[in-house]
Amino acid sequence: MSLKSERRGIHVDQSELLCKKGCGYYGNPAWQGFCSKCWREEYHKARQKQIQEDWELAERLQREEEEAFASSQSSQGAQSLTFSKFEEKKTNEKTRKVTTVKKFFSASSRVGSKKEIQEAKAPSPSINRQTSIETDRVSKEFIEFLKTFHKTGQEIYKQTKMFLETMHYKRELSIEEQSECTQDFYQSVAERMQTRGKVPPEKVEKIMDQIEKYIMTRLYKYVFCPETTDDEKKDLAIQKRIRALHWVTPQMLCVPVNEEIPEVSDMVVKAITDIIEMDSKRVPRDKLACITRCSQHIFNAIKITKNEPASADDFLPTLIYIVLKGNPPRLQSNIQYITRFCNPSRLMTGEDGYYFTNLCCAVAFIEKLDAQSLNLSQEDFDGYMSGQTSPRKQEPESWAPDACLGVKQMYKNLDLLSQLNERQERIMNEAKKLEKDLIDWTDGVAKEVQDIVEKYPLEIKPTAQPLAAIDSENVENDKLPPPLQPQVYAG
Amino acid sequence: MAQADGVPLPDAAPSCVSKLVLLGSGSVGKSSLVLRYVKGDFKSVLPTVGCAFFTKVVAVGNVALKLEIWDTAGQEKYHSVCHLYFRGAQVAMLVYDVTRKESFLRAQQWLEDLEKELQPGEIVVALVGNKTDLEEKRQEGKEFAESRGLLFMETSARLNHQVSEIFSAVAQELLQRDMARLGSSPLGNSGAMRLNQAPTRRTKCCSH
Repeated sequence: MSLKSERRGIHVDQSELLCKKGCGYYGNPAWQGFCSKCWREEYHKARQKQIQEDWELAERLQREEEEAFASSQSSQGAQSLTFSKFEEKKTNEKTRKVTTVKKFFSASSRVGSKKEIQEAKAPSPSINRQTSIETDRVSKEFIEFLKTFHKTGQEIYKQTKMFLETMHYKRELSIEEQSECTQDFYQSVAERMQTRGKVPPEKVEKIMDQIEKYIMTRLYKYVFCPETTDDEKKDLAIQKRIRALHWVTPQMLCVPVNEEIPEVSDMVVKAITDIIEMDSKRVPRDKLACITRCSQHIFNAIKITKNEPASADDFLPTLIYIVLKGNPPRLQSNIQYITRFCNPSRLMTGEDGYYFTNLCCAVAFIEKLDAQSLNLSQEDFDGYMSGQTSPRKQEPESWAPDACLGVKQMYKNLDLLSQLNERQERIMNEAKKLEKDLIDWTDGVAKEVQDIVEKYPLEIKPTAQPLAAIDSENVENDKLPPPLQPQVYAG
Repeated sequence: MAQADGVPLPDAAPSCVSKLVLLGSGSVGKSSLVLRYVKGDFKSVLPTVGCAFFTKVVAVGNVALKLEIWDTAGQEKYHSVCHLYFRGAQVAMLVYDVTRKESFLRAQQWLEDLEKELQPGEIVVALVGNKTDLEEKRQEGKEFAESRGLLFMETSARLNHQVSEIFSAVAQELLQRDMARLGSSPLGNSGAMRLNQAPTRRTKCCSH
């Protein structure tokens, strides 16, 4: 027996090592005897099934609930008095149940995967642990994309997986080190593709874009605005700064854009939307694309206004104006993130890189902005910054045309409000006066009465005779005729 | 190396992108210059939406070089932030207006900024005096360029005078430096070599 077990320990049958699916690759007990690829497929299938089942369960529960509700409603219809209370309870119960069902479903992918892990007792690769729907979609697309490159694609996939694995363990490192790792990875993959895979340069670029998309959707959560840096503080600082500069007009920046033209103000709005949208993207390249779109809208706006294509002399001030007007969220974090994790070739060269550099310039300018750069005197600038004076109050006709309808309405309303305020104050004053008058009047009356009372004190003279002598002393009685005597008439 | 063999580089050439930054005061004609060069016109038609970023493939001998031209805002107030444009640039073109002395002084200031930001020899610098159609050529630009080892040319974007010449001179210089780097990279004094090369190139392009 010992011999047998020993043999067993050394010798393993070839068939046991191979993937259970028979694809020819070696399997791994950790993946239930499948090879990595088949395991992923199996795992994915099981998960899809789980999701499907969850969905069905959720639907069934809801349906049953609704049916129960409908039947209870018809049977309880007669007893309307008690019913209303019952209905309330019922709907409460129902909404609660539905939300829990919904919650259950929305989290099902995660719950499902966790359950999966527990049941199978085979941990999936650590990087798969936390996946969202978007991440899943991106990985699927990435794999599909790499399939077109056959062997090179497989190689790339392996490398990216390995990179993600190593990044997982480097999470504790400083963000600069993580950024360096990523940049090194970009470089080594691109080089490998060119030298080993003999991939033509334009394809390398495409593949690099896909790789960036794949890894950055996964890493975003950990490397965007990390706690170890002061990115957030900088975000807040620039946001506060832009808010403090709300009074800057296009005229001060010499922006060659006339927002009175509807198409131009349209473009301005679009540009602002794009720059704000940047924050919602995960992949650095998508963020860059937002900046580029924003820039193109700016160029359009200038072109419509000036009727000639814009040069950089026009573009930068307009971009600054757009940033001031839009106050994009987490601006510094986004810039830092792009600088750290974007493929460097995209940042140094190319149109995207150009616009990104312009955005950096705009932000740097806003940080340094002073009275001189707006052609203002220091007192004016300080006054505007502290909010004591506003450039709009002094020259109302300069803001009126470029202010949008809502703002105009707001100013009108403000005017009205101040008028009302004035009137109310007047009313209050008058009311107070009236109150005072009334008090004075009552006081006066009281005083007068007092005076008179004092002057003519009321003296009640005691009555001379006692009350009992009233009848006896009545002298008037003599003048009264004698009482009537009853007389009898013979009829 | 490749040029020495006389073999053209069909594949490698387009992938080699060089970034060129245009620097200069406002309204010295930076945009006109590049417009003239890229589109071959002087504000007669309106080709694109924006005129701030251009790419152009230049042929130098049998090598094609892709130039990426970055226009910058020339207003004085943006001077302090413009160093951000320098990063990764291989060429800087300092443009001034021959009729305005202060624009020439500004160009010198740009040069100082460049030298502060970048290693000597890391970037090809060309001094360009524009608007020669408005005034007789001046001598001071050339002298200054010679003393600092810059490429120099006086141009007129309006008359299309020397416009493409300055760009191809720059491209040629770039290529030469690449050759020098590839060929004699172990040499420690490569920076000095490049400085020595500049005058020979310049005499050649000015003789066009």
